[in-house]
Amino acid sequence: MAFWTSLLIVHGLLAVALLGAVTHQAVALWWPVRVASGSFVTRFRAVPSISYVWAIIILYVVTFIMGAWIYTQYRYTSRLALEQLRFFKTVGAFEIKEHVATIGLVLLPAYWAFWRRPLSPDYAAARKQVTLFLAILVWANFLIGHIVNNARGFGS
Amino acid sequence: MIATNKVMILAVTFTVSYAVLYAISTELNLPLVTYHPVIGEIDFLWKPERRGPAMYWYGWMLTSLIGATILAFVATMIPEHWLQRIVTFAAAAAVAYLIVYSLALLVYEKATVELEWLKSRWLSAGAAVVLAAVLSFFTPIAWNERLWPGWAWAVPAGALAVLGYYLVPYFTR
Repeated sequence: MAFWTSLLIVHGLLAVALLGAVTHQAVALWWPVRVASGSFVTRFRAVPSISYVWAIIILYVVTFIMGAWIYTQYRYTSRLALEQLRFFKTVGAFEIKEHVATIGLVLLPAYWAFWRRPLSPDYAAARKQVTLFLAILVWANFLIGHIVNNARGFGS
Repeated sequence: MIATNKVMILAVTFTVSYAVLYAISTELNLPLVTYHPVIGEIDFLWKPERRGPAMYWYGWMLTSLIGATILAFVATMIPEHWLQRIVTFAAAAAVAYLIVYSLALLVYEKATVELEWLKSRWLSAGAAVVLAAVLSFFTPIAWNERLWPGWAWAVPAGALAVLGYYLVPYFTR
């Protein structure tokens, strides 16, 4: 159990890094800085969005692979307990997480294509939309993961 | 005219077709493989559980991966404006089916006489295809071009909505 718990913690830490990167990029893209100032929020918005692309792709893929691996353990331990306890909403939330993670993963090829250098102005709108959608998916999965784990997670 | 290239077509078509195929293979339960986590064994195609639960998620992803890869490569071989028109048609057909079938069920519920044929999915699907064909035929090429990159997130969002709808019973038990 210590192995799976460690894996889950690493998965969670990677998810935090991914969440930070994708949020940073989405905010900088949708709310760019017009006039520089020294405030925390302005500096948060002033990052060069393009520099986050590969970090987001790699973090997403690695986090996904770890999640897919942990899923095997969840399927015959935590989930069985959740079903016996009739925690159907929690089980359903995890089912949503599984689909959201997959959709996020397949969004990556298009996301990468829209962010390819040199950035095409023709795809500026699509780039913004896909980045925002990816950020929403990452946030959704992060929150669902927390809820599911708090309900009946590893070690509980 | 939006400047596209083969890489862009490949990437966008892969994302769009994978999302659609994933929703279909999940709802029709068409996994390429079945994984049995307790015994650590993998079966080809769908198999029932044996000694513990069976996992189909990996199988659905593999089914979709193969289909989407084929479709993405085919997409690079057809004229771009045709590809854009096909995607517009497919998206319009999906939305039209949703509207037509919902309306048919609503009329069936409210009707004072028995209209069993309204419950036919095939009838709604046929009507949706006709509507989408008319709509996509009259959609100007410039509109298809402008819509094209947006399908990369709109179709996955739609697929997710469909997948979410089928999970509603978990939240209403």
